[in-house]
Order: sequence, then structure tokens, then C-alpha cells
Amino acid sequence: MLFGLLCLTFAIAHVVPGDPARLAAGPDANAAMVETIRAKYGLDRPLGVQFARYVRGLAAGDLGESLRSRNAVRDDLARYFPNTFELVTLALLLAVAVGIPLGMLSAVYKDTWVDHWARVASVSGVALPAFWLGLMLQLVIALYLGWLPLGGRLGLTATPPAPLTHLLFVDAVLRGEWRTFGDAVRHAVLPVVTLSLPALASIMRVNRAEMLETLQADYIKTARAQGFSGFRVVTRYALRNAMIPTLTMVGLRYGWMLGGTILVETVFDWPGIGLYAVNAAVSSDFQPIMGVTLLIGLNFMLVNLFVDLAYGWLDPRIRRPSVT
Amino acid sequence: MTFPRILPCLLITALLTTTAVPASAFERVGDKKILVFAGRQEVPTIDPSIKYDWSIRMMQQALYDALVKYVGNPPEIQPWLAERWEVSPDAKTWTFHLATQARFHNGDPVTAEAVRWSFARTLKLNQGPAWMLSDFLKEDGIKVVNEHTIQFTLTQPYAGFLSFVPWWYVMNPKQVMANEQGGDLGQKWLTDNAAGSGPFRIKRWQQGVLYEIEAVDTYWKGWPSKDHVGGVILKLVRESAAQRAALLRGEADIVEGLTADDYDVVAKTPGIVVPNYPGMTTFALKMNTQKAPTSDANLRKAVAYAFDYDALLKIYNGNAVLQTSPLPQSMRGHVAVPGFPRQDLARAKEFLAKSAYASGGVELEYVYVQGLEEERKMGLLLIDNLGKLNVKVKMVPLTWPNMVARAAKVESSPDLMAVFATPVSSDPDAVAYWYHKNSWGKYYGSSFYTNADVWGLIERARTLGKWEERAPLYAEIQKRIVADMPEVFGMLANRRWGMRDHVKGFVFSPVRLTGEVDLYPLAIVAK
Repeated sequence: MLFGLLCLTFAIAHVVPGDPARLAAGPDANAAMVETIRAKYGLDRPLGVQFARYVRGLAAGDLGESLRSRNAVRDDLARYFPNTFELVTLALLLAVAVGIPLGMLSAVYKDTWVDHWARVASVSGVALPAFWLGLMLQLVIALYLGWLPLGGRLGLTATPPAPLTHLLFVDAVLRGEWRTFGDAVRHAVLPVVTLSLPALASIMRVNRAEMLETLQADYIKTARAQGFSGFRVVTRYALRNAMIPTLTMVGLRYGWMLGGTILVETVFDWPGIGLYAVNAAVSSDFQPIMGVTLLIGLNFMLVNLFVDLAYGWLDPRIRRPSVT
Repeated sequence: MTFPRILPCLLITALLTTTAVPASAFERVGDKKILVFAGRQEVPTIDPSIKYDWSIRMMQQALYDALVKYVGNPPEIQPWLAERWEVSPDAKTWTFHLATQARFHNGDPVTAEAVRWSFARTLKLNQGPAWMLSDFLKEDGIKVVNEHTIQFTLTQPYAGFLSFVPWWYVMNPKQVMANEQGGDLGQKWLTDNAAGSGPFRIKRWQQGVLYEIEAVDTYWKGWPSKDHVGGVILKLVRESAAQRAALLRGEADIVEGLTADDYDVVAKTPGIVVPNYPGMTTFALKMNTQKAPTSDANLRKAVAYAFDYDALLKIYNGNAVLQTSPLPQSMRGHVAVPGFPRQDLARAKEFLAKSAYASGGVELEYVYVQGLEEERKMGLLLIDNLGKLNVKVKMVPLTWPNMVARAAKVESSPDLMAVFATPVSSDPDAVAYWYHKNSWGKYYGSSFYTNADVWGLIERARTLGKWEERAPLYAEIQKRIVADMPEVFGMLANRRWGMRDHVKGFVFSPVRLTGEVDLYPLAIVAK
């Protein structure tokens, strides 16, 4: 699958108009300078040769070099991906932590004010563009109220902890730099909330729909008839069965968010992979585009694998071999 | 207590302990005042031989010195590493005498050999600024006369030589070569390290986040103010609304790249000033002069006379001036060309009648940068203006790489293309050469302008040593280009920055690129 993705991305990247060598050489560069760049990066070779060279490099862990940053793509990804990973993971945790209980409450208290408000919140979450929401949060929370910073990962004079995992929160905790950790949390609140809202809304809606169906099931009625408490019936029996479609949605959202953070990263100056990819795309910088696509593809596959494994944990019947 | 239970406590504690930090107008580190510049553009490399744009060059200018430097408006070339210089009467041999006290950051003296090595390196790598001099200067034409004297002998006379020298920064060869990897002449190392003698040195370089430089207290040339900044943080803020908010909140001292409306808003805010100067960046609607229908000179003139120039200024809320010649007004040699086109529908119809499209009925493709609101408005203006000639306009927004690709060939170059172009030097050759055949295929050469007489004049003017001989040639070049009308000559948008009023010492020079600021004279005078 990854190889298919690789072929497709390579083909698309080379079909679109734009001369990466000219863009890298600069607007005033003469023909000789453009050719110097073209030769240096092997862009003067036939496409087949370029592809074979890329695949050979990939097999050795070399993702090529960015024409724009002049860095190894591998180093660039190592610099930017952890930031996106942290942003997306925190946003998803928030979406799950709020979306699932909200979906559950909405189903249990169907057609009450709890349900109405939860549905209004979920529709808003889907309908509000992340770009607009981010700017509004900046305007109100950061600019007018001054409660939180406008953007970035840390304050201007703060120094990030020496990297251990390259994940800022984890490194700050491991190094015991609590002030830096606090600063990082403050900077993360607005982007995390902005990014999580659409996911939260989707998760809540799916969970509500599944819970409504599950709560009508015979085994739930049986459980109630046997005198189990309402709380136990909902959380232990209904929720667990309603979780499989919800988990599918969580997996899809996680994969989508890993590749779709560009707007939030732009508004909040979050130095992540989305911004890196867009900057590469607008300068026809092929190697980073390929590297980012492969990384996102790989992540998407891994997330789906984890989701598949989680199905078995939620529903033991899935783990059993089918009886024919 | 399990980890999931500890986590919320940690988060709440962290928030409570840090929310009380007030936003300050500038950062203080010890007794130093650090200026915060919120810019939208990254600095992917600071190697002076490899690349330049406004953000790269702003940092290069802070970290390195050149033989001479552009200062002021109109831009004047002032001595810098070179205390003085001489040029031979034929403009072929240029001799520079270096300041003896100049030192690199590591204490090494700046010598003629370092200058020779730096120029040779840029020529050899053939990237970045190399195009400016590579047609006239070869490595063997650079001679070290003595430790503090360097001589450049050009392959042919070139009067514009000095005007490009400010962008050729001098590196410390010892420092660079000590960090060479695999014969790369230090390219890898110089991407995010500096080996210069400039007023600042690198403090932090967090790619994609911020770039911090600190003032060199013992800078060999001294500082113009006792309140000079102790350092500068170039913080990447990519969204103009966020830039505006950062300025208003006091998280940034200078911002660039706000929208025209945003500048007007922040200018009315107490504590903020907006320096507003006519720039040298020309805006033109380039017309393909070799492909129908715009190969018809009369149609081009009809378009130029139908265009509403006053409305163009309104798009920028009046913060622009109309061009009166292909050369910007602040450029040496500029003449206001008599009969320069302004909206005149009667004349437009006259020219249209003389063209092969006497009754209109033709559609022109207008290509502009996707997402650039001002250029989109210009397209709407064109639709309205040319509609009166029965000429239709098809608006085609493209990404910049696609526009550059379209402009590279005469067959694909659009009928009309919105182009902002900034001359890199104050010499008129910098703009005149855009109309030479050697500029075909570059974005500013998308007209594929052809006039052998004009090319001859351009070639002759650049080789003359005396300004008195060059000036009349440039006057003639400007007139002839306007007569051929290869483009709708538009306007020079003002350069603006949003700035906190405690920032002093700002010196504008139109030869600098869009958001670029000379950081050296800046000071912070806190109330």
C-alpha cells in the first residue's frame, strides 16, 4: 500500500506544472544557475531514474533533501512531526474525553435540554471552520482577555528542554522542567481546543446514535429487568457495545487530523508537519512532499491497525475464530 | 494516585502558576532589550552565497558586513568594510580599501583575502546573488593587492558593479573551511551558522519557530545609539490577523505584511506607528507581446488606456503612487515619460479601432496569485474596464510556482499577468534589464518584449562609466519601452510596517526587499 502511495505521489508531484529548480534558484537566477541546481539535485535525469534513485535512498532510510530548507527531509520530519503528533494526540484525547460522555448523556436524556444543547454543540463543532474558530479564540481569549498566548509552542525567551523524545511535553516532564511544561500547556490550549472541536462533534454524534440503538436492545432491557443500576447498564453494557463504531470514527479522525492540521498550525504558528508540507507544495519541493505523504500514510495504517486490535478488546467475539 | 488522576492536577497547577505573566512590549534579558519582529516568512538558510529574499537578507545584513551598504531614501551607497574605493575611467577596474579595524565575530581581522575568498565562493557555487556579477566578474579577476586592498577587474566595463556589491557579504574563510563537509565549501554549516563580522551574532536558531540574534557589544564599527537593541527575535507569525493581534497585544514590536485595512486600523491605535514610504516594487500587468491577441501593439495600448488607475490606488486605500515610467520614481535616471497612459476611453477606442480586433470580441486571460485579494480586485477592475471595449477578461488564479512555470515559455505566458517586481539595486540597469531578451522566461520577463534597438541601448548604457553619458540613454530607453507598451504600468505600493512607538532609529531604504528592515540602527527607548 505504501509503495502504491509512493508511486502515486511521485507521479502527481512531477505532473503538476512548476520548475522546482527555477524556484529554488530564485527569481533572478540565470539559466546557468538553474541548471546548476537541476544537476545538483538530479532533476535533469529522466523521471524513471529519479524514481529509482528515490526508492533506493528510501530503502536506506534517506528521504532526500529539501530544495527549500537545504536540509535532509528526514531531519526536517524529525523536527516537525513530533509537534504535530502532540497537537493531534492532545486534541483527540480532549475530543474523546468530552465527546463520548456527551454522546452518552445525549442518548440517555434524549429529547431533554441536555440532548438539545449537546446537539447544538455538535452541529456547531462540525459547521464552524477551524480557521475562523481559531482566529476568534485568539481574538477573545488571547487579545481581549489576555488569558492565554496568541500562538507558538513556548514563550519567546523560554528555551525548550534538551530533547530526549523530541516531544516537548514529555521532555519537559522527564527533565523536571515544570515551568516550561506550564508554558507549553498554556500555548497548547487554544490550538488543541480548535483542532478538537470537529472531532469532538463527530465522535459525540456517532456515539449518541449508537447508544440510542443499543439502549433499545433486548439485553439492555434484560439487564434493567434484573435490577442493575442505570449507571451500570449504560456504562458497562450499552457504552461498550456502542464503542465499536465510535472507535472507528476515532481512528479515522486521528488519521485525518495528522494530515489535516495545516489551518490550525498556520493560525497558531504551531511548527508542525502541516505547515512544512504546504511550504513544500507551494515551492514545488518534491522530496518533502513525498516524505510527508509517506509519513502520514504510514501513520494512517498504524492507527487503523490499532483500531482493529482494539475491536477485539472491546468485543471478545471478534477475537474468536469464526465457526462454520 | 494513578497517572490519569495526576494529569488534570498537573495541568491546572501549570495554568494557575503561569497565567499571571503580563505581555510586555519587548523582551528583557538581563539589562538587554530584545526587539521582537513578527514576520511571516521563514529563514531557511543564511548562507550569503546561496539564497536571498527579504527575511533571509534581513538576517544576513545583521550577521555579515559587505564592502559597502545601502542607506536611506533615495538609497545611497555608503562605505562599510571598505573605507573608500576607486574606479578606472572605463568602469572595468574597481579597487576597494578596507577598514583596518574590522573584525569577524571570532576576532580574526577582515582582510582582502577574506573578501576575495567570499566573492570567489559565491561565483563558484553559482547560486543566490551570483547572477548579479557572474557575467562580468570571474574568479581570476579578483586580486589581493595587499592585506587591506582588493581589486576587481571585470571582463567588460559595467557601471552597475558597485550597486550590487552591498549584497555580497564577506565571510571568514578560516571559520567556514574548518566546518567544510565533503568539499561543500561549508554550505551545510552555513545554513544555520554564521561566520561574519556584522553587528549581530546568532543566539538561537529554531527553524520554523524563531530566530534570535544578539548584538555584538564590541562591533568594530560601533553603534549609532546607546539605546541600541540588545538583540532581535524574528518570530514566525504566519497569519496576518495573528500578526496584528501580536502587535496590539504587545507581543511584537514590529510586524510586516498586514493587509491594507489592518495597517489603517493599527495606525490609529495609541502606542503604534506605521512608517509609510513609497517603495521601489513595481506592479504591472505584463502582456505577452509575442502571442495573439496581445502581440497586437494597438490592442495592448487600448488595454493600457482603458485601465482605471485611480481605482488601482483605491485598492491600496491610497497607499501607493502611480508609475510615471518603467523605472521607479526613486531610482537614479528616472524620467516622467510624457504622455504616460492614464485612463482615457476615447483613446482606448481609437487604438482598438486600429488593431486587428476593431470591434473587440476577444477574451484575455488574466493570471494572478491565488489568494492575493488585491490582485483579485484588479481582475474585477479589468473585467469592468475592458468590458467597455467589448473585450472579455477570464480571471485565472494560480499558485506562484504555476505562474512562474507559465511565464517561462512564450507559448504559455498569459495575455495578462499580475507581477510585482523589486529591483535589487538602485542602478537603472537593474530595471532596464527586465526588458532585455536575457530576462525572457523569468517572471518579470513574461512579456517576452522584443525591440532590438532598446536592447542595444540597454547593453550600451550598462557599459559606460560616466553617469552623464548613461543618463540620456536611460531616458531614451524609458520612452521607447512605453511607446511599445509591453505592460500596463501600474503603481508602486507603499512599504509599511506596524511598529511600537518605543522603537526608534528606523531608517527606510526602498532598495531593501518588501518586509526587510535594517536592524543595525534600531533602538528601544522605553518610557
